[in-house]
Amino acid sequence: MTMRYTDSDSLRCATLTRRLVAIASLALATHLAYADGPKGLLETLHKHVPLTATVPDNGDQNPYAVVVAPVSAGLFERGDVLVDNFNNAANLQGMGTTIVRYSPTTKKMTLFAQLPRDLAGCPGGVGLGTAMTVLKSGWVIVGSTPSNDGNTDTKGAGCLIVLDANGKVADVWAGPAINDPWGNMAVIDNGSTATLFVSNAGFGVGSSKGTPPVVNQSTVLRIELAIADGDKPRVTSQTVVASNFGAQADKGVFLIGPTGLALGKDDKLFVSDAVGNRISEIWDATTRTTSAGIGRTLTQDGLLLRPLALTVAPNGHLLVVNGVNGKVVEIDPDTGTQIYAQWIDNNKAQTPPGNGDLFGIAMNLEGTAFYYVEDEVNELVIAK
Amino acid sequence: MSDANQPNMTRRGLLGSSLAAATGATLTLAAGAAAAAATPVAPPAALAGTPPAAPKVEPFLGQHQSGIVTPQQAHIYFATLDLTTTKRADVVALLQRWTLAAQRMARGETGLVLGTDLDAAPVDSGESVGLAPARLTVTFGFGPGLFIRDGVDRYGLASKRPEALVDLPKFNGDQLIPERCGGDISIQACADDPQVAFHAMRQLVSMADGVGSLRWMQTGFVSGERNLMGFKDGTNNPSVKDQNLMHTHVWVGKEGGWMQDGSYQVVRRIRIALEHWDRTKLGFQEEVVGRHKASGAPLGKKHAHDAMDLDATDAQGNLVVPETAHARVASPKQNDGAQMLRRGYSYNDGANFYAERWPPWRQGILYDAGLFFAAYQRDPRTSFIRVNQALSMQDMMNQYTTHVGSGIFACPPGAREGSYIGAPLFEA
Repeated sequence: MTMRYTDSDSLRCATLTRRLVAIASLALATHLAYADGPKGLLETLHKHVPLTATVPDNGDQNPYAVVVAPVSAGLFERGDVLVDNFNNAANLQGMGTTIVRYSPTTKKMTLFAQLPRDLAGCPGGVGLGTAMTVLKSGWVIVGSTPSNDGNTDTKGAGCLIVLDANGKVADVWAGPAINDPWGNMAVIDNGSTATLFVSNAGFGVGSSKGTPPVVNQSTVLRIELAIADGDKPRVTSQTVVASNFGAQADKGVFLIGPTGLALGKDDKLFVSDAVGNRISEIWDATTRTTSAGIGRTLTQDGLLLRPLALTVAPNGHLLVVNGVNGKVVEIDPDTGTQIYAQWIDNNKAQTPPGNGDLFGIAMNLEGTAFYYVEDEVNELVIAK
Repeated sequence: MSDANQPNMTRRGLLGSSLAAATGATLTLAAGAAAAAATPVAPPAALAGTPPAAPKVEPFLGQHQSGIVTPQQAHIYFATLDLTTTKRADVVALLQRWTLAAQRMARGETGLVLGTDLDAAPVDSGESVGLAPARLTVTFGFGPGLFIRDGVDRYGLASKRPEALVDLPKFNGDQLIPERCGGDISIQACADDPQVAFHAMRQLVSMADGVGSLRWMQTGFVSGERNLMGFKDGTNNPSVKDQNLMHTHVWVGKEGGWMQDGSYQVVRRIRIALEHWDRTKLGFQEEVVGRHKASGAPLGKKHAHDAMDLDATDAQGNLVVPETAHARVASPKQNDGAQMLRRGYSYNDGANFYAERWPPWRQGILYDAGLFFAAYQRDPRTSFIRVNQALSMQDMMNQYTTHVGSGIFACPPGAREGSYIGAPLFEA
């Protein structure tokens, strides 16, 4: 792993406030001299604009998944951003039940779906996590990592929930291969068929009391779907393509486990291994019939500090948000080079700034900007 | 309703009695020592050693209730009660008892006239005997439940519920505990001596026996200008000396009918994550508040009472008072001129287990401390609710504060001589 640039010690902000940081945060740009154009996406993004609060009327908190709708259907328009909430109004984690919709056209946030806490067929009930996608067919699939008291002590195995485009529950998928679908999904969507990659971080995870052990049982599950016209998606096969990732109960952040998934070229799947502080590479992601274990290490440590959600920029680079500071890190997946990081949330109410604030991230459809959530203030923000 | 011919005891009367002071005299001995002392008796100069100071008494009767524009005392006992009676007459009688007792206690007397029957429990607990009045004020408020509760108009008052006495909406981030919210009647007892304030509360609650029961209670304290965050608080409060401001923002006008000359009270128990705050860098604390910690001046200014310049920018073009600073988001300029008279107190109720609602979600035994926010206003819809909707969504301070208790009450005008608190409501 080579680091060509780090800003971790040199980010300089004229102001301490989050919003003002949004106006003038790209201090890293002052350190770069480009002879051959930009080295990555981050240096081209200069504004961070809060778009909307993500708290719906029921008071749910802690936004996790960020997904951009690829089509217009039901309640959402193409380009709308769906965000789910992991906490309920009492801020108990694993008890959030809502998905909100932000329209870049109207600039309004509305409720897309409010699920029952106790959902038949979903062990432990509903606590919506980072696993969410909107398919071209208009179906929304979202993962539940539920708890009854905000801690893993009472967590259930959860499920994947299929919603129609109007936010109504159409199906619930659970089973022995699904245990707390946790990370953002990687998706290949062909319309009538689709492939989902889902990380399951709940296997073997117990109480958060004391010093919980790292349990190396987390998996990445590939789920093949058939989607007939007018019918809900149907699971045609499930294959564990990666396994033995570490996961750990945590009384503060609920659960630390594999959280980010993204597909690259050459059939590679990238997994952010939060416990290992690394990005893993799973080869033959769509064809393999056996587990690749924890895969190969693309990059480790450096600018990474508990990597969470992953997405792919138009230049093919990986963008991963850090859990323990408010940075997004750009990585060249061909070389594993950590190109640089940008402190997109340097809220000094946390130490280090932005600690615990970031989770979901998603590119806009144009590939010119990315959306992300700020958990500490329950907001959706765009970096552009 | 006069007590002039009854055995009596005043705190100041006892204080001034060398006999009582020297011997720790019994209540019986003191009886009659300062009977019917409508005006507290100053201690003899020989005892005090200096010329007698003016007694610190805040009269209960008046056009407005005391305890609203009264210069803030050092201690508060706040409580709400749920009425359990089904009879309107019981409520009226209670208000009459309270009115008499509040008058007496404001003067430094016991709440009820003490008797001498050894076979009866004393009608006053007695712990204020010998204490100065300490500027005691008692302020009563009527909650929505007095007018209608669970759809039932228990006392024939539903039609008189003021429009402005709305149920508070749910605000972003609220984590209200039902046991610390609401109530049919509120009582705010403030004094410079906590024992005097609690004594007053204790007697008033006792008098409600059989009519209502205690729902929740909150104590608080204030000393100097600073709150528990170490910042000067209330700098931007409207001046109680400015009658126009008070009539514009605090006292209900003719539009209020029976509430004219009253005021709407909103209370919020706001827990502050002090451990989190204490680890926050000074510079960021100032950004959060929008003021300099040492001087209390708005950011970029020198003095506490300098006007806040919300448009000022630094050399880089950034706002000097950040966009989400508490002082900016709460400022009248940002809220269509909305103002209210804040009269909050700090509180510390020890420590409890808490799970914070901000990253990194600290859990453990943490201070149960913060601000008991109390504010008075002419119309909460355009004051507290307007401002708090903005604060709950935008205020950087929300990363340190959580609203856990809440209440809204219509505080009627002050009681007149010979009448009782709330009479305009019940007799209109």
